[in-house]
Amino acid sequence: MAAQSEGGGKDDIKTQFVTREGTYKLMQLSEYTKPTRVPYNGQSNTPVRASFIDVMDETASPERICFNVGRELYFYVYKGLKKAADLTKPVDKRLYKGTFPTCHDFNSIWVSPESVRLLVGFTAGQIQLIDPITKEPGKLFNEERLIDKSKVTCIKWLPGSTNQFIVSHVSGQMYVYNEELPCGPTPPHYQLFKQGDGYSVHTCKTKSTRNPLYRWVVGQGAINEFAFSPCSKYLAVVGQDGYLRVFNYDTMELVGSMRSYFGGILCVCWSPDSKFLVVGGEDDLVTVWSFLEKRVICRGQGHRSWVSVVAFDPYTSVIDDESLSSDKNFNNSENKDIMQDHMANGSESLRNSSDSSKSLPHSSQNITTYRFGSVGQDTLFCLWDLTEDVIRQPVGRTRTSILITSANTNAVQTIPRSNNIAQKANSVSGGEHLPDSNAHVLTNSIGNATGKFATLSLGERKEVQKEKEHKRNFSLASRNSDKNSILKSNHVKQVDESIKLLGTCSCPRLEDVPLLEPLVCKKISCERLTELKFKEECIITACQEGIVNTWARPGKAQGLSQHTVISPSASNGGMYCISCSFRSLVLTALSCGNRPFSDLLRKHKISKATSFGVVLHDDVTDKRRNSIET
Amino acid sequence: MDSRNESTAAQKQHTTLWSKADTAKQVWAVHGYKNTLYCIHDGTPIKGNNASQLEKEIGSEQLPANEHYFGLINFGNTCYCNSVLQALYFCRPFRERVLQFKQHQKNNKKETLLTCLADLFYSIATQKKKVGTMAPKKFITRLRKEYELFDNFMQQDAHEFLNYLLNRVSELLQADKQGNKPKNGSNEGQSKSEPTWVEDLFQGTFTNETRCLNCETVSSKDEDFLDLSVDVEQNTSITHCLRGFSSTETLCAEQKYYCEVCCSKQEAQKRMRVKKLPQILALHLKRFKYMEQMNRFTKLSYRVVFPLELRLFNTSDDACNPDRMYDLVAVVIHIGSSLNRGHYISIVKSDGFWLLFDDDIVDKIDSSAIEDFYGLPSDLQKNSETGYILFYQSRE
Repeated sequence: MAAQSEGGGKDDIKTQFVTREGTYKLMQLSEYTKPTRVPYNGQSNTPVRASFIDVMDETASPERICFNVGRELYFYVYKGLKKAADLTKPVDKRLYKGTFPTCHDFNSIWVSPESVRLLVGFTAGQIQLIDPITKEPGKLFNEERLIDKSKVTCIKWLPGSTNQFIVSHVSGQMYVYNEELPCGPTPPHYQLFKQGDGYSVHTCKTKSTRNPLYRWVVGQGAINEFAFSPCSKYLAVVGQDGYLRVFNYDTMELVGSMRSYFGGILCVCWSPDSKFLVVGGEDDLVTVWSFLEKRVICRGQGHRSWVSVVAFDPYTSVIDDESLSSDKNFNNSENKDIMQDHMANGSESLRNSSDSSKSLPHSSQNITTYRFGSVGQDTLFCLWDLTEDVIRQPVGRTRTSILITSANTNAVQTIPRSNNIAQKANSVSGGEHLPDSNAHVLTNSIGNATGKFATLSLGERKEVQKEKEHKRNFSLASRNSDKNSILKSNHVKQVDESIKLLGTCSCPRLEDVPLLEPLVCKKISCERLTELKFKEECIITACQEGIVNTWARPGKAQGLSQHTVISPSASNGGMYCISCSFRSLVLTALSCGNRPFSDLLRKHKISKATSFGVVLHDDVTDKRRNSIET
Repeated sequence: MDSRNESTAAQKQHTTLWSKADTAKQVWAVHGYKNTLYCIHDGTPIKGNNASQLEKEIGSEQLPANEHYFGLINFGNTCYCNSVLQALYFCRPFRERVLQFKQHQKNNKKETLLTCLADLFYSIATQKKKVGTMAPKKFITRLRKEYELFDNFMQQDAHEFLNYLLNRVSELLQADKQGNKPKNGSNEGQSKSEPTWVEDLFQGTFTNETRCLNCETVSSKDEDFLDLSVDVEQNTSITHCLRGFSSTETLCAEQKYYCEVCCSKQEAQKRMRVKKLPQILALHLKRFKYMEQMNRFTKLSYRVVFPLELRLFNTSDDACNPDRMYDLVAVVIHIGSSLNRGHYISIVKSDGFWLLFDDDIVDKIDSSAIEDFYGLPSDLQKNSETGYILFYQSRE
């Protein structure tokens, strides 16, 4: 609570904060914003987001930044902790009319100092693929709004793909596009492809292949964000109906879900090892959900309004050395590889291939403490530590120690579920094209571990129920039967049954799981915060007003060289941080090497009139504008 | 082709909403100078068009069978009343009780505020047409007769009216039960024996816990409420405002608390938490702040977000239903820059979609348009369209 009052004063905007690893400092000169600062009127409601790409040129600043402010989209050289690029000279700037950019994503494979591929989603539903370096005419998707008329909420390249991407809309639908395919002159007709609890997947019913390849209808109401697991295999989707749903992307099976305490979920992020998900939303909470155990393990209270972005900090996780070495007989080299992947990719879209043998959310890394951050509409920035004691807490742990016995009962009731689901997931993946032998072993072992715990507490169970859980006892029984029916009927449960979820591991009562307090809770802006990214040497935040800020990590403010390792400082284990540049360089070389850039470029040179009112003004080259308007 | 039409319709819908709001502002801008603050009601044929357009927008066959959307004509600054009436009409349990009352009312000769309300609701609910306008003349006349504060053409506080209406209706019901007719403005029936349905719906209880810092004795006192008034802060959520309502306050210096155990004035800590959660939770945002220097109320246009779903965090340990889930069903919105200068409208949820009632005008709005009523993130502007009273209905 002390942290809460600290962020209090209205004009008290912090420019630094301290954690156990040191002092983080706002780099005042590294600020990116619109070159001409007009008085802010608070009118624009599209969140300001920032995307980054490492183009791997030989200069000291190989990174590029793209951010949207109102109807404008900017593309600059990103200089990290150093003084920002000349804001009056953007590499590219675009101004849109009638429709505003809402989100964007760089393709992390198809990248070179001469060319990048940037996807942009818009308020009226359209999608644009542009290259802000070559400034070649881009491509438009859903241009006539035949596929979806509602606002684009999130857009991402499919992991490991140079041509497929996913777009989510306010309409509650997600579409898979292939940028090489046309969108067709008529609205698509769909046929059901796959169906499950609260979602369905459709394909286009046409002779020739066209966009969208797939349509996903997920939950009720808007999809607010989605995220691929760092292992590329799972897709997490959060929406206005208050659900987090996790799918096996390839098999299109729902593998888990949770419910917010109340209200829509606005943002989601995977832990670097794909074991946990953190979500934030309209209940002003951050909620951590364990993917392996399929349960909410804790909530965090500290925000004073809705949480707009959550992100794990892959560079500030504490890793247990011992368990790493004891893992040796478990295919260690590969595990290390995955760890590197995860560490390097962090919360951004990943770049490793979707090689299924690698893509397991398994416990090779043994991160003992996870760091994550959140920003909200309350202008507050929070950091949270997800520590081992919280992670290992049995289900239903209460904050008061007196109630530990009752916590055990809760553990009993929930174990059958996690076990069953784990087995189910295994059978599913076994039946389809992914031979997950590793996952099988792992999920089972987890099930056994918790199972042991369950039997231990069985003896106490009856007494406790009699003594303390009078009321709960009844609901406990009903909950169990509820769960059984859920399992039997292939997860058929209605969204309006969400009340019944209260008290289950999908939506525990407030007192059933630990309630974390933020490690750091600071007011860092006078406007709503809309972006948060963790990088190796800095943290990036952005606010609704259109200011992108860079915060130097401890010891980085003095301008050290770029690819250094954070010195270990935590008590046991220390912090790891692995530079990714070389790896991604190789990857890029591999994926693009046998296909000359020029060829690719020529292939995509389809210029079209922009009927949805996108006039691509460009201050830098007039040539491009002309070509697009024709 | 098809898509184009739809998109323009959607755009139009949005512009109607805004232009209307703008008009309202302009009206106030013009009349504000003379301090003759009338909500201009021009009985032009617009409303006829509007009604049919609403039908078109929703689609006649999609209009729910038993639902009627009737705008209420403004009788000179009565938008505070119209907006609250509409919000209450779309609090289904409240409407049902009022209509039940109407049914069981046997040749009751005496006209009261409740009978007028029942007649108004009944006449809306029994209209042949699904959409249209209604003149709540009888109700307004009665209101002005009953309570001198409202007996003028001044702009009134919608919250004050809601409070008055609920208390008055409850009083009348209590009096009915006891069989004696209330005299004009009487305070009879204070000995509350049994709660009336107004209390059943709106009444909650909060526990006022005071802990003496000297002897550590905690004394708690329960108090009933029909609505909760919460302080607002910039860029917060209603959840945070409610938490603020229950935050611990230290009573010291002048405000020392008389401890019964210590038999003296002591420093103490005080907090209020909700013990019984009402079926309909009415939340009043304290957006009007009295400024002594200016000798008038100024409006806090802060951006306070309110979700469509709500649970309370500030419940007491002995609360019987602490995790009740609420759904937002109606919002009374204040437009303008101060208490005496402005306009009230309301948005309500009916059958899965949202409607905006601006006196006699009814519009369908998209649920994403609700964010336009959260308030302003910058403190510079005062003129705003902000949620003022939120009505949350319990799901079970």
